[in-house]
Amino acid sequence: MMVVQMEKPKLLIDGKRVDGRALDELRPLKIQAGVLNKADGSAYVEWGNNRILAAVYGPRECVPRHDANPYRAVIHCRYLMAPFSTLDEHGRSGPNRRSIEISKVIKEVFENVVFAERFPKTAIDIFIEVLQADGGTRCAGITAAAVALADAGIPMKDLPCAVAVGKIENQVALDFGKLEDNYGDGDMPIAVAPRNNEILLLQMDGMFTKDELRKAVELALTAIPKINALQVDALKKHYAMKKEIEG
Amino acid sequence: MEILDEIKKDYVSDLIKKNKRVSERGFFEYRPCTVEKGIFDSAEGSARVKLGKTQVVAGVKIELGTPFKDRPEEGVLSTTAELLPLASPTFEPGPPDEGAIELARIVDRGIRSSNAIDLTSLFLEQDKVLMVFVDIYVLDHDGNLIDASALAAMAALLDTKLPKVEGDQLIRTERTEKLKVTQKVVTCTFSKINSSILLDPELDEEKATSARLTIATTPEHVCAIQKGGRGSFTKEELFNLVDISFEKGNELRKLLE
Amino acid sequence: MLKRKLSNKGEQMARVVVPGELLADSPRKTNFTYVENEKTYSSILGLFDEVGFRLIPLEGVYVPSLYDIVVGVVEEVKFAGYTVDINSPYQGFLPAKDSRYEYELGDVISAKVKQVDEVKNIILENARKLREGEIVEISPAKVPRVIGKKNSMLNLLRTATGSEIIVGNNGRIWIKGGNSALAARAILKIEKEAHTTGLTERIETLLREEGK
Repeated sequence: MMVVQMEKPKLLIDGKRVDGRALDELRPLKIQAGVLNKADGSAYVEWGNNRILAAVYGPRECVPRHDANPYRAVIHCRYLMAPFSTLDEHGRSGPNRRSIEISKVIKEVFENVVFAERFPKTAIDIFIEVLQADGGTRCAGITAAAVALADAGIPMKDLPCAVAVGKIENQVALDFGKLEDNYGDGDMPIAVAPRNNEILLLQMDGMFTKDELRKAVELALTAIPKINALQVDALKKHYAMKKEIEG
Repeated sequence: MEILDEIKKDYVSDLIKKNKRVSERGFFEYRPCTVEKGIFDSAEGSARVKLGKTQVVAGVKIELGTPFKDRPEEGVLSTTAELLPLASPTFEPGPPDEGAIELARIVDRGIRSSNAIDLTSLFLEQDKVLMVFVDIYVLDHDGNLIDASALAAMAALLDTKLPKVEGDQLIRTERTEKLKVTQKVVTCTFSKINSSILLDPELDEEKATSARLTIATTPEHVCAIQKGGRGSFTKEELFNLVDISFEKGNELRKLLE
Repeated sequence: MLKRKLSNKGEQMARVVVPGELLADSPRKTNFTYVENEKTYSSILGLFDEVGFRLIPLEGVYVPSLYDIVVGVVEEVKFAGYTVDINSPYQGFLPAKDSRYEYELGDVISAKVKQVDEVKNIILENARKLREGEIVEISPAKVPRVIGKKNSMLNLLRTATGSEIIVGNNGRIWIKGGNSALAARAILKIEKEAHTTGLTERIETLLREEGK
């Protein structure tokens, strides 16, 4: 009778991680705004091997009607992983408990920043589709959705973005990829409003001492402005002033 | 209903400005709390928690099953929560909504992260493990369902005795040893109302809450955090609440003895 | 860094700003901005004209304002009046007692926004049935460019094409007669290039070349 022993891969060699990064380094991140035609706003994010599409419809009529709020827009968020999005087997279509929880906490990020009182009785529908997953999908989703909301012309007080921090061999490490997610210790996604560093989303699992937690939060906060700069860049590039236009 | 909620919100806000709460207690004080273990014989483990007027029961059932592919030598832990319609006029019958799902996952996260249940102790042989199902039943909602549920779940697990395994069958009438519990995990849930933060919000305080922070702890570690609501926290508020969670968590932990 | 350039026509380049971007170190009251701690920030993705301190949205749904002109479609005939689709998350209502004519389901009308209350109930007046013609729908944020400063762009379109053109602030533009196809093309081009400089010249060129 053979018992399979899972060998934990070494995640840190000479200060370098499995993909060659330092502990405080972000994976390559690309953001594009306005990638879809029909949606009111959209954005596409490539973050490490993550491929995530966010789309926004609204403000529009609130469906179901009884959901509508007479004083502010209702924000709906649907985060979903495509059945083909992971290296594992074919996933089931549709929401599961994990994606429902993630949809809820992401929705709460945007309930904070959107000036919803400007659009009473309407709904703002946010769709986050994970086409390829490689760790940190909810952070990439939030980062994309913020750009999509701005692209839709929806007023917000800031462009929130997010990043996850974990632990490798008792040191905090920024932006875990899938392998690190599986074999590392701890996972702390955090979404922040970059202008004043207010924490809009915070989840954590793993074992952190108080000191490690503090280091993890501080590390995340160093990455936030960098991610935000890419969001701003994506939006501004999309509307770049051109002196000459193709006829 | 909504107008009443608005009035309650103002009432709570005004009290807080005077450094008071709806019930006579400090900003970081729990309501009177009791934990009873072993309240149901049919379940392998059970407990009831009363936190102020909030009441939650948890039941643990053990099953035989197969492990997850990526963890072949571990048993399986599964946690669900039901916000029963009888617990509150606002709970509707139907499958668990996002609130119930979040509640269950927060409770589960604290237990799982800290390895409070030694899942390897549930391994029997290749492709055969014990599965631990924790079901949280909220009976009466007067605020802070998270802390009450986490306490009930932990107490029920501490109460759990494994049934005898014979071949491919469980003999439920014969209980053997206790489930191997390595840690007592507790959660502390805080509510932000305007710029004040309170521990253990009761229902009326929850209605005035802009943001909620739950911190699960073992004696020396934070093992889960969940922020909820549309408000926000600063990092300094977070670090402060972590300190308070260790202190107040220990108080709750004593109730699990 | 704000780059200020003057083109031949004296147009000044505005810069693209995003939600949360600082616009001024003092509190200023302008549309689409908000004030926090005595500083003014943009709430939208828009074009910021620092000199005139104006913020122009680049996108966004149509939210009716008092006295706006809208081009709408009658959606429902009720006893007290008509529900009108005005290309907005909010429907317009035209009271029967305020309209001289009787409208039918599907009628296209132009109207003026008489009243907008806090919960965005929209009351219309001065309705007029628009017969025949065609409707071009563009992003409401781009309508000001179609109108132009003191109607300059709109007059240019009308003169060059000879078409009757009614521009709804809600992004719907009704065109009838004249070289309506050219008018529609020009309007769609304005929508596509609304945020660029030199647009007026390019439209003039288009109308001149294609109008032959």
